[in-house]
Amino acid sequence: MNKIILAVLGLDRPGIVAAVTGILFEQNCNIENVSQTILQTEFAGIFIVTMPPNGSLEILREALNAELNPMDLHAHIEPVTKKQAAAAPSKPTEPFVITTKGPDRKGLVAKISATIARYGVNISNLQAVFKGGDEPGDNIMIYEVDVPVDINRQSLHQDLREKARALALDISIQHRNIFKTINRI
Amino acid sequence: MLTDQEIISTLEMLENEHLDLRTVTLGINLLDCAGHDLAKVQKRIHTRITHFAEKLVPVCDLIGEKYGIPVVNKRIAVSPIAVVGAALSSSQLVAIAQTLDAVAAEVNVDFIGGFSALVEKGVARGDHALIEALPQALTATERVCASINVASTRAGINMDAVLMMGKTIKQAAELTADRDGIACAKLCVFANIPPDIPFMAGAYLGIGEADAVINVGVSGPGVVKKAIDRALKTDPNLDLGQISELIKKTAYKVTRVGELIGREVADNLKIPFGVVDLSLAPTPHVGDSVGEIFQSLGLVSIGVPGTTAALALLNDAIKKGGAFASSRVGGLSGAFIPVSEDLNIAEAARQGYIGLDKLEAITSVCSVGLDMVAIPGDTTAENIAAIIADEMAIGVINNKTTAARLIPVPGKGAGDSAHFGGLLGQSTILPVNCGDRENRFVRHGGLIPAPIHSLKN
Repeated sequence: MNKIILAVLGLDRPGIVAAVTGILFEQNCNIENVSQTILQTEFAGIFIVTMPPNGSLEILREALNAELNPMDLHAHIEPVTKKQAAAAPSKPTEPFVITTKGPDRKGLVAKISATIARYGVNISNLQAVFKGGDEPGDNIMIYEVDVPVDINRQSLHQDLREKARALALDISIQHRNIFKTINRI
Repeated sequence: MLTDQEIISTLEMLENEHLDLRTVTLGINLLDCAGHDLAKVQKRIHTRITHFAEKLVPVCDLIGEKYGIPVVNKRIAVSPIAVVGAALSSSQLVAIAQTLDAVAAEVNVDFIGGFSALVEKGVARGDHALIEALPQALTATERVCASINVASTRAGINMDAVLMMGKTIKQAAELTADRDGIACAKLCVFANIPPDIPFMAGAYLGIGEADAVINVGVSGPGVVKKAIDRALKTDPNLDLGQISELIKKTAYKVTRVGELIGREVADNLKIPFGVVDLSLAPTPHVGDSVGEIFQSLGLVSIGVPGTTAALALLNDAIKKGGAFASSRVGGLSGAFIPVSEDLNIAEAARQGYIGLDKLEAITSVCSVGLDMVAIPGDTTAENIAAIIADEMAIGVINNKTTAARLIPVPGKGAGDSAHFGGLLGQSTILPVNCGDRENRFVRHGGLIPAPIHSLKN
């Protein structure tokens, strides 16, 4: 199986997904996963795709560039190797949500994520909005993370709280189930 | 993937709206601790409670931390001590109360309920001894709570027991005169008491319950108030049907928290999960008040015309939202209106917006009853009994739980202030109509028969 990962970036507009998936269809590719988002004015889409047995990465790249470059969009393709596929964490984890609010400054994501990384905790989703200024509600980071069950969670919490305090951030660390339980039927 | 709105609105409830879990209450069956030998009974009670409860507080704290939602109170409810100690004298039952108090302190729970008797149809020997022991037991202990069920829809109202309770409350107040009669704040008189209340002072473990069970009581008055405020700010023309829907949805969220944490505590302790009690339970803090909800709904204060209708709407919406959120609903499950424990209701009492009559009226549409009501110290035992009888009648006829937690504050009169401290709060003493006069009605005693609609079979 020739599995590839395709990333498409550029100014958002109607028709981007249609254009990309149209080319994939023409090239006889099968889409396994898609995730797309819009940050401010920018589109970002990631596609995991299986190519046909005789498919060529180069031909697909050319077809994508020919169609997307005139739209000011950029495509990046890489094969998904077995090594990458095996890199997915297999250790049991518990899903937590880390939320911070506080005055904006450079390096907030870097410093909080460095603490998270030091414990081998994987970030599965990150949403952050920095409108600038000192109004805490204007500057929010929300990390959805998978915390391995075999790490010292108290120590992680304590380190995160200390880091947040140093950055003048309010931090909450809660098991993800509480949000699902409260908000979803 | 969660939405940012789901996360931010939940955090808002936690940080600014006092969302927490008001109580996790561990019910422990003590029936097989019974005996004639006081020392043996005390030892068995100690062993049984420490066996089940030694990990209660740390487990609640751990799970509260995991979800970022504090479990404010950890409590224990035991089998009715009038049954467990049926063979003991009243002075021995005071010693049992002290054992309960000591073991509650040992396992670090803030209250232990179940110094209780069920006397709606008759007073047995053990019940009599327990009621006799109440004033001393509640004076000599800090954490022990007592409840006496004197009426039920199936049995009627035991007026002999009601009069006994009037006298008992009076004695308990006098024994703790230096603390504004605080012993009475730990004593509830009930009609139709549920066997699985997690809230104090009414919590006890019913006879039909298992060896041990975890019941939880949710919070939420602050969350409900803020939800109403936000909705009315967006659309001031919301009608009451739409507001009811909003309260339902909010009650759903609050109840889900209770269910999630309660079940996890139960799993952790390997004890069956019992019920979620949906009651809106206030504390004497701004923003955590049932009384404030009435103002959000457009009333000047709780107590003014419209109060009963507003409370009926609130109580019904909470039940509907909560019942959908939990598969195991029980306890009292309604809005509490404890006067001294709710800053806003205490203020309404001080300003004269609410008095005993209106409080009694609104208990017909909510749980629980005349709760934490300070009355003049010269109110006679007969009139205290008569107030209780009125409250019991509302419960018995309407097939619901009602209760009276009355504090006749020694040496103080209507308009004075009574201070109980902590979560028990403080309140202006409410006048009782002809409270110092004789009341021959209650002296008749006997049983007010069960209503005709109790014959359901």
